[in-house]
Amino acid sequence: MKTVLLIASDGIWALIHQRLLVGLMLASLALTIAFSFVLKSARENVTESFSEDRVAADMYKGKGNERMSESDRRKLREQMGSISSVVQAAFYEVTALGGSFVALFIFSTAVASEIRRGTIRLTLSKPVSRTQFLLGKYLGGVAVMAGYALIMSAAIFAFAQSQSVALNPAIKWSPWLMFCEQLMLGSLALLLSLFMHPLIASILAFFAGNGFYAPPNPLYFILPSYSDFGVFFDVLEGRLVDWKDVALLSLYAFDFVAIMLLLAIWRFRTKELV
Amino acid sequence: MSAIRTEDLSKTYKTPWGKKETSAVKMLNFEVQEGEVFGLIGPNGAGKTSTIHLLLNLIRPTSGVAFLFDRPVTETAVHRRLGYLPESVNLHTYYRGRALLNFYAALCDVPIEQRENRVAAVLKLLNLEDAADKPVSKYSKGMAQRIGVAQALLHDPDLLILDEPTASLDPVGRIQFRELLLELKRRGKSVLISSHILSEVESVCDRVAILENGALKRVGTLRELSAGGSTRFVVRDVPGLAMSALAATPAEVTLLQGQVTIRCPDDAVRQTVEAILREHNVEILRQENEPQSLDEIFISTIKQDIGS
Repeated sequence: MKTVLLIASDGIWALIHQRLLVGLMLASLALTIAFSFVLKSARENVTESFSEDRVAADMYKGKGNERMSESDRRKLREQMGSISSVVQAAFYEVTALGGSFVALFIFSTAVASEIRRGTIRLTLSKPVSRTQFLLGKYLGGVAVMAGYALIMSAAIFAFAQSQSVALNPAIKWSPWLMFCEQLMLGSLALLLSLFMHPLIASILAFFAGNGFYAPPNPLYFILPSYSDFGVFFDVLEGRLVDWKDVALLSLYAFDFVAIMLLLAIWRFRTKELV
Repeated sequence: MSAIRTEDLSKTYKTPWGKKETSAVKMLNFEVQEGEVFGLIGPNGAGKTSTIHLLLNLIRPTSGVAFLFDRPVTETAVHRRLGYLPESVNLHTYYRGRALLNFYAALCDVPIEQRENRVAAVLKLLNLEDAADKPVSKYSKGMAQRIGVAQALLHDPDLLILDEPTASLDPVGRIQFRELLLELKRRGKSVLISSHILSEVESVCDRVAILENGALKRVGTLRELSAGGSTRFVVRDVPGLAMSALAATPAEVTLLQGQVTIRCPDDAVRQTVEAILREHNVEILRQENEPQSLDEIFISTIKQDIGS
């Protein structure tokens, strides 16, 4: 286990020094901030539309809301709520997509770049087995993805606090579900990268979802079900995501990751590393 | 116990669609004893690096087996006794020198309380103290090579596998490296060294194997390999007819201060020359067997192969 953790920490260190990855993460963070401003400006626009009614404006500023009619208050609340849902859903989608690209980049290059650069030869000349190396590389990627999910969660909660926006119930689970989906994507990309170029592996892993098929097509059951992890419509419609569904999805994700890793270990054991 | 042993080790590379096959290593059998410094030489594409990659389990043999300290090379635990320097040292460039060595020391299970001292010792040994806290990405080729040697020595391994270890070193670095190898030899370490620099191999190796086209051509000590090598006769009073007969052979004849020196490059020429001298009753003052240099052994081995 110590060796796996050493390889994982080396993997994290390597990823932190990847300019492209840091760029991708910064771009995702920039999009998060941009969406915060979009939501802020959308809320202001709604308030503006009520600006002729001083009562509405006063209410928004937190004074004299008793002078606003009940229907206006309801209308304002509905509009604010719907804008908030749309922006939160869009925010979630952008964050998830950004995270998926980050995951694909991390996992498809984790082992392949070590082979291409030849650094794997020195590492494996030490008492490190191929299985330990592969698991360590995957674990390093998982740690970085966990960091990404935490940063994004912190960003959305901080934004909600600063703007006094009530978080949509579905979005509370979104970082965890997004993380699970990215681990699935990553494990598939890692496995495929042991057979082909990392870029092709990433593209295949990204488009391997079963969304294009429906039962009884066998591909529906074989291919990963990424779409079940998406909460875009739940956020948009303000639906509650049941914790039992989350638990079931988590179990599915870990099951999928375990199978992909076992296949990757099997492939990596006989792979030529020069 | 042998440090390295191969049994009918073969490696064939195939193109992706299996249309073309290239044999990199063919039925290789050799053994490196514990405490022995063993040289692996051969022209480009002879299979030296492929052999090393097979010993490190980086590639899988098509057939045959290889052992390190009598354990199959697939057993990772045996790597605790192994230090390896690749032909081109590719390092994790996001570390600083000291941190990189600490990482490798941790991988080699060097106890944490000894790690700092071990790292400092190899940095000093390889004259890298001043560069220890510089990013590895800023290292010159020679410095990268030296830190490559440092990581191989970190855990004081019993066996060192060195692939072209002095390729990027300057003359001073080469001399220091040769001294280091001799020191390791004195300490009873086993070393497998693959090199193009034959003088280097000649000066440190106990035994040498010559590879060509993936096959082992010759193996032995320099004395064994040069047996049947050149012979020098020193004679005098050589009649004109004998001189003419000698001149017709591939032997090298030189006349100096009344003495004739006849240098026979191989055993066949020696026999011819001896027959001529006998026929003309020429007195042999001295007969010396000249050990061949590794260059000569290497060239003659490769030439024989081209000839056949």
